[in-house]
Amino acid sequence: MSTNPYAVELKGVTFRRGERTIFDAIDLRIPRGRITAIMGPSGSGKTTLLRLIGAQLKPLSGEVWVADRNLPTLSRAELFDLRKQMGVLFQSGALFTDLDVFENVAFPLRVHTDLPDEMIRDIVLMKLQAVGLRGAVELMPDELSGGMRRRVALARAIALDPQILMYDEPFAGQDPVAMGVLVRLIRLLNDALGITSIVVSHDLAETASIADYIYIVGDGQVLAQGTPDELMQSDNPRVQQFMKGTADGPIPFHFPAADYASELLGGTDA
Amino acid sequence: MSDSHLALGADGRLQVVGVLDYLSGPALREQGRALIKRASTDPLLIDCSAVERSSSVGLSLLLCLMRDAKATGRRIQIVGLPKDMLDIARVSGLDRVLPLATETAG
Repeated sequence: MSTNPYAVELKGVTFRRGERTIFDAIDLRIPRGRITAIMGPSGSGKTTLLRLIGAQLKPLSGEVWVADRNLPTLSRAELFDLRKQMGVLFQSGALFTDLDVFENVAFPLRVHTDLPDEMIRDIVLMKLQAVGLRGAVELMPDELSGGMRRRVALARAIALDPQILMYDEPFAGQDPVAMGVLVRLIRLLNDALGITSIVVSHDLAETASIADYIYIVGDGQVLAQGTPDELMQSDNPRVQQFMKGTADGPIPFHFPAADYASELLGGTDA
Repeated sequence: MSDSHLALGADGRLQVVGVLDYLSGPALREQGRALIKRASTDPLLIDCSAVERSSSVGLSLLLCLMRDAKATGRRIQIVGLPKDMLDIARVSGLDRVLPLATETAG
């Protein structure tokens, strides 16, 4: 068992898409066994960060340490192995629409293990029981509500007992009851199983209610970090704007544009 | 890599040893099937105190042993369940299904 208190560490990571710098030499550390939220305005690179941690993307420079391994230096086979320790709950749920609930949850077990069918069945039923949907085992995804689909996807994400569980916008598009259920499940899985949880979200209230630690990212940087309480009391105007959800501030409401009057009136002074 | 195994002791109890995971699971399942046939005590005591580490596979292994014993008309009792297995059992509601027993000294 590792003694490193951090399950994930990004050291000086730079990532670009074409000419655009998404991250500029950022440092970020995710404590083991805790819930860490990555927050920030839309387009700030939150999901990109998850993809860097999941090794679906490679940084231009810097180190991405997961479970004491530096991802950019690993071979494909080593990455395939390491990914078994990571579960991802995608924003869309990403269930296979032509497979029933049982087969969706069984999928990673069939791909990554040689377990016999009876053990796969036990584990699928255990995971569905954990998310409260054992009774839905024979249903197809299109027979489920949005909240149920996300819980089935969560059961699938924990099928291989990952040490790290990443949630990409888990609350997006969910009704208040489904959100409450998800908040409870994320906390339960984290506390009861000691999973390291990384929640990417811009749903402030829900995320602040479960996160032990929050990073706010934007402009290619880590803008702020701290516990939810620390960030709420921050006097940094960027943090204030984000935590209080005000439309204008250091993060401008308007995307940079040419002078409005000039654009409307053809370059003449109004 | 792992020396995970099941062993039937002279006292008739079935000892579960080592790491119970996706790699060791298939072989342990087969060992368990064979040993349940050889075991003669009822209830059969399954001792998990020598489990080093376990994923959900370890819990499934116990369910498999329960089914095997049931098929031969016997019961099992589980002792020495380590914390990681108990945590998974609780989250997945198996603490209400598995016959967990507390062993008394002597």
